[in-house]
Order: sequence, then C-alpha cells, then structure tokens
Amino acid sequence: MKLPALVALLLLLGSPAAAPTRQVDEAALDGQIREIAKTLRCAVCQTENIWESQSGLAAQMREVIRERLQRGDSPEQIKAYFLSRYGDYILMEPRKHGLNWLIWAGPFVLLLIGGLLLVRTLSRWSARTAAAPNEALPPLTESSRARLDRELRLLDK
Amino acid sequence: MSTEAQERFRLRGWHLALVLALAALFSLFYKGLWGDPSAIPTVLIGTPAPAIAGPDVASSQPISSSQFRGKVVLVNFWASWCQECRLEHENLLAIHDRFGGDAGFVMLGVNYQDRLDDARGYIEVYGAPWLNVRDLKGSIAIDYGVYGVPETFVIDQQGVIRHKQIGPIIGPTYSYLNDRLLPTLLQGSAPTVS
Repeated sequence: MKLPALVALLLLLGSPAAAPTRQVDEAALDGQIREIAKTLRCAVCQTENIWESQSGLAAQMREVIRERLQRGDSPEQIKAYFLSRYGDYILMEPRKHGLNWLIWAGPFVLLLIGGLLLVRTLSRWSARTAAAPNEALPPLTESSRARLDRELRLLDK
Repeated sequence: MSTEAQERFRLRGWHLALVLALAALFSLFYKGLWGDPSAIPTVLIGTPAPAIAGPDVASSQPISSSQFRGKVVLVNFWASWCQECRLEHENLLAIHDRFGGDAGFVMLGVNYQDRLDDARGYIEVYGAPWLNVRDLKGSIAIDYGVYGVPETFVIDQQGVIRHKQIGPIIGPTYSYLNDRLLPTLLQGSAPTVS
C-alpha cells in the first residue's frame, strides 16, 4: 500500500465517523451496568439498589461493574463476585434455592392451607346446620307462646 | 382404629403442625427484635483474604499484602470523617503496643473514602505507627464486603480471614481480640479453618 493511501486510511479510521460507534458502545455498556446494578442492594442505603443509591459505596460498586464488563466478565460472573463478598444480602431478590424457597413459596402455601381449612370448616358448619330438620325442634311451650303474644302486642303499640 | 378415631387423630396432627409452625414463626420474629437490623452477616470468615494493594497514606509508596504472607494481619478500614474510628483508636494503639513487636504480627490500616490531606492530618493528630494503605477506588473495601467504617478483619498465617468486626473495637470486642484471638493465633495453636 502506498503511503498516501495509508495516511488516508488512518485519517478515515481516526475521523469523527468512528465516534457514534463509541457512543453506541458506551450507551450499551451503561445499559448493561444499569441492568446489573438494579439487581444489587446498596449496602449503605439498604432499601435502594446500587443504581438508584447516591452513596459513595454504590458509585464505587457501579464502577466495579463497569470495569468488570469492560474486562469481559458476564453479568452472572459480576453478580457472583458481589455475592461472594456480601452474601445473599446483596441481592435485591433472594435466590431461588434451599431455604430461600420458603420466602418465595411460603405466602402462597400459607394462603392455600388457609383456604383449605376455611373450605373444610365452612362445609362442616353447613353440613351440621342442614342436619337439623325443623321437625326436630321442640314444640313451643304455653309460657313461650304467651310471651311471644305479649311481645308482639308491645311492638304493635 | 375406627374411621372416626382416625379422623380425630388426623385433626390433632393438623393442630400440632399449625402450633409448631406458629411457634417457629414467632420465635423468628422474636429473634428479629434484637440486634442491628442493618448488620449484614459476613460470608468471608474462613475464606482466603483478598489481596490488598495501593499507595501508603504517608509516603505514597506502594503497599501490597503479599509482603505480609505468613503473618497474622489485622486489617482495619477507617476514615478521618468516621467518628466511631476515633472511639476505637486508643484500643488499636494498645493492640499495636502489645503485639507490634512480634515479628509474626502486622497491622494494616485501609483508608476508605477519604481525602489524602484529611487522612494524613488524622494520623498526625491521633498517631498510627503502622502502615496505612489508600483505597483509591473503594475496590479493596468491596473485595472485603465492607459497607461502612470502621470494620476490622483478622487474617491468619495461612492468609485465611478468621474474624470480622463491624463497628468499633471497644468493650468485649476489644477484649476478645486482645486477650483471646490474637494471642492464640500468634501462638499458632488455633485450629486452621479449612
């Protein structure tokens, strides 16, 4: 390749035309950082994820994510790294394994058990009520009948 | 056993399970009433200590934890703006006075989220006759799962983290480090954590 052609090629590669690609890359990287950071809890402001937290530690954690992504680490590897340092606590959502299943399934299991108990209790109540026919009721006594009449007359007044 | 008796037995089993489950739940709630709700349980005890590297606060010369291999290392994360670090400082000096002369013991401060001038000023005022490394990007702290200062780690001769203290080394924590853990580790009689 002749020298002028080589110079032209180098100029072309170094021209602003390459800048949009870098911007796209940067935007894609920011998107990846956001996705990972949103799944990690800020160890200082513990109700926030490290994407939303303004704490210095969260900013440094985002920087660690950036560096690791640029180094070629996958999001799973990065999450595993934070997990190995801070334990399950660092995850905004507990992992679905072992005892953690209690947290995920517990409310639904309790709801199911409660529902079954309710159905069983209600069906027993209704069965017991249906089992008492009208004929089984004791006949009205004379005194009761007199009292009924008295009360009804009071109501009419 | 008659069907009716079986039914009654099953009912009792249900009740027992329910009572046990509720008792377990309430004991969990009761336990949750005590302790610091923001404390993050550490997962690093018994694991190899991450490497530490950075410039020295005083001299800016590079420091690396590899130079302390084979020694018991007390790593203390601190900052000049941290009030609780001042609370424990006297005890850190006392630990250094007692064990600093032992060739098998090293104290290493890690200056966390701080300005260099402030960190140097703090050392000048309070004194710290041990090495202090600057954690420039917070990566040392994150490697150690630190979420605030002060936090202190004790690393054994094999490079394994043996103890983590969140908060200042005062009261029973100081007694434990000064009277039990450090002497035991330095005698080399403590069982090795695998």
